[in-house]
Amino acid sequence: MQSARTAYPVTWRIMDALEAFAATVWPANWTRAVPYLMLAPAVLLVGLLVLGLIQIGDTSLRTLDTSTFLLSEEYTLANYQRAFTEPLFAAVAARSLLGALIVTAITLVFAFPYAYVMVRTSSPALRKFLLIALFLPFFIGQVVRAYGWLIILGNQGMVNEALGLVGVEPMRLLYNYPAVLFGLVQYMLPFAVLMVAPALTAIPEELEAAAGSLGADWLRTFFHVVLPLARPGLTGAGLVVVTLSLTDFAMPAILGGGSQDFIANAIYDQFFRTSDQGLGATLALMLVAVGSLLVGLIFTLFGAGTLAMGRARE
Amino acid sequence: MTRRDFLSYPLDRRRFLRGTAATGAAAGLTALGLPHALAQEPEKPGEIIVRAWGGSWVESLEKGVSDPFTEMTGIAVRHDLTEDNEIQPKVWAAVAQNRVPPIHINWDTTTNATKSALRGVTEDLSDLPNLANVTDLAKPVGLDGYPIVNTYGYVYVLAYRPEAFPDGPPKSWKDLLDPKFKGRIALYNDGIGFHFPAQVAGGGSLDDIPGNMQPCWDFVEEIKAQEPLLGEDPDFTTWFQNGEIDAACTISTNAREAKKNGIDIAWVVPEEGAKFDTDGLWIPKGLPENELYWAKQYINFALTKDAQQVWLDGLGLPGVVPGLTPPEDLVDDPSYPTKEEDFADLIRISSKVQVENESDWFAKFKAIMQG
Repeated sequence: MQSARTAYPVTWRIMDALEAFAATVWPANWTRAVPYLMLAPAVLLVGLLVLGLIQIGDTSLRTLDTSTFLLSEEYTLANYQRAFTEPLFAAVAARSLLGALIVTAITLVFAFPYAYVMVRTSSPALRKFLLIALFLPFFIGQVVRAYGWLIILGNQGMVNEALGLVGVEPMRLLYNYPAVLFGLVQYMLPFAVLMVAPALTAIPEELEAAAGSLGADWLRTFFHVVLPLARPGLTGAGLVVVTLSLTDFAMPAILGGGSQDFIANAIYDQFFRTSDQGLGATLALMLVAVGSLLVGLIFTLFGAGTLAMGRARE
Repeated sequence: MTRRDFLSYPLDRRRFLRGTAATGAAAGLTALGLPHALAQEPEKPGEIIVRAWGGSWVESLEKGVSDPFTEMTGIAVRHDLTEDNEIQPKVWAAVAQNRVPPIHINWDTTTNATKSALRGVTEDLSDLPNLANVTDLAKPVGLDGYPIVNTYGYVYVLAYRPEAFPDGPPKSWKDLLDPKFKGRIALYNDGIGFHFPAQVAGGGSLDDIPGNMQPCWDFVEEIKAQEPLLGEDPDFTTWFQNGEIDAACTISTNAREAKKNGIDIAWVVPEEGAKFDTDGLWIPKGLPENELYWAKQYINFALTKDAQQVWLDGLGLPGVVPGLTPPEDLVDDPSYPTKEEDFADLIRISSKVQVENESDWFAKFKAIMQG
């Protein structure tokens, strides 16, 4: 006859105790509430954001009294009127939107082949190299990278020095719109590759082989097999890149030479230079609105891509 | 003894040090001329936090004011290098929420400080004893009392690389319109320092400020065509150093610092004039009584001749205490005005006018430069 201890090991006893404790804390008839409980962190997070937005919304309806530097007690739409009518904000908004779209397009064009080679290569060494090259920039902050470009692209930077060796006079490569877009593309590329790579991994190599065996050349296979199947990855990457570019602050500030502001720079100016929190809040809300509309448009046209976590394929 | 009585005794470093040597740290207040004050002396805080600008700015403050203050009182001084315009909303929020503010003293531009004074978040400093020994420059224009104490003045000069001006120094702000300087000039990114000389260079009058600034904006439009770089203090030094620019409207201290770093740079006050402005120190409301007391002592000490001499030697700026000796390299320099006639070419507009119109001027300048 086995001893009771052998028949009922101590680990089981512990599990029984834990189960009894769990049943006390969370009775079985509460089971239906589990999914809601798991939603709680998300609700809390979104709730805090909504509370913040309500506060910003309230501030946006108040104007600054420059004799006391206090916001008005009364609500008014004056800040919105300024935001919609002053040419400065239209110029900055147009620059930001156009910049975000250009950066997204260029980034996806560069990210796709990088991700494709990284996923499909048969060389483990090359894959490791590409992975290291992909993750290395994440260890260097955006501001540091922007300052790196100042050193490389400055009038006395490496590029101009190299050009000087072949007799080309130093040229201004920095402090203009292309410089800002260049910095943003370089910053966004790793994000895009990370979003595209899983989508490419999910495409069986056999599909490409099958297309080839049916007579499709590489180009046709790419356009009719790979690209459509990679669309969720491209959409997800596009969403991330377009929103991050639209709201970027550091690249326009550092590489723009002060004359290539994006919306985030204009918001900073209102909060911290003119102390006009009302107008700053208005611009911030409008940025949220424009970003949301853009994302909504992409959702409508292309779906949510990999951000839908596979729902799009069902 | 009330706080006001205590403050009426001048804080004299030499007397303090003599006393300390004789009787040790406990006799420090005797050295201050306060033999019976020890019992009434407010408790010393562990440290005083002073917001400051970095680089040579904070080094000068440390050498001239903070270190000697610590030596005298035993109170450590910590410098918070948060940008002046970024600490402002934090201080405002703290005061509005009845919290203790994050700093004891704000070293601030007078324009920025005036906003805080108008908002009512500054302590009154009228009872500082050393205010009796300062020039009119210390008094903020257009405000009641001393919500801020101006501690020195500075000039937004036209700094240039002599190599780029082979025919001699520039005489006018209009010289920047020469096509060869396209993309080679720099201004502050909010236009500060440039508006008023631009008003004159654009054919207008200073008397028309703020009513009619159109000549200013016309001239800014012309400058915009030159594709200027727009930045902040550190940018100018970097840009000069890296050969990105040939000329800039900047505070003389930055130009002098660049020169100290070996950059060939000089500066002038052009014929249209140059903006003269001040920086100051102020204390936010909401500090515990004892910390307020010692913060005031810090500012009071910053107004002594000894402190000003060392502090402002480092900055190369004229102070508010009479009898300061200019640094050797700035004797008779237009950026270091000491006599009445030195101010003839300098433009000074009241902080209140600047503050009330800053938002509009900023928007207009930005609209031109971002267009």
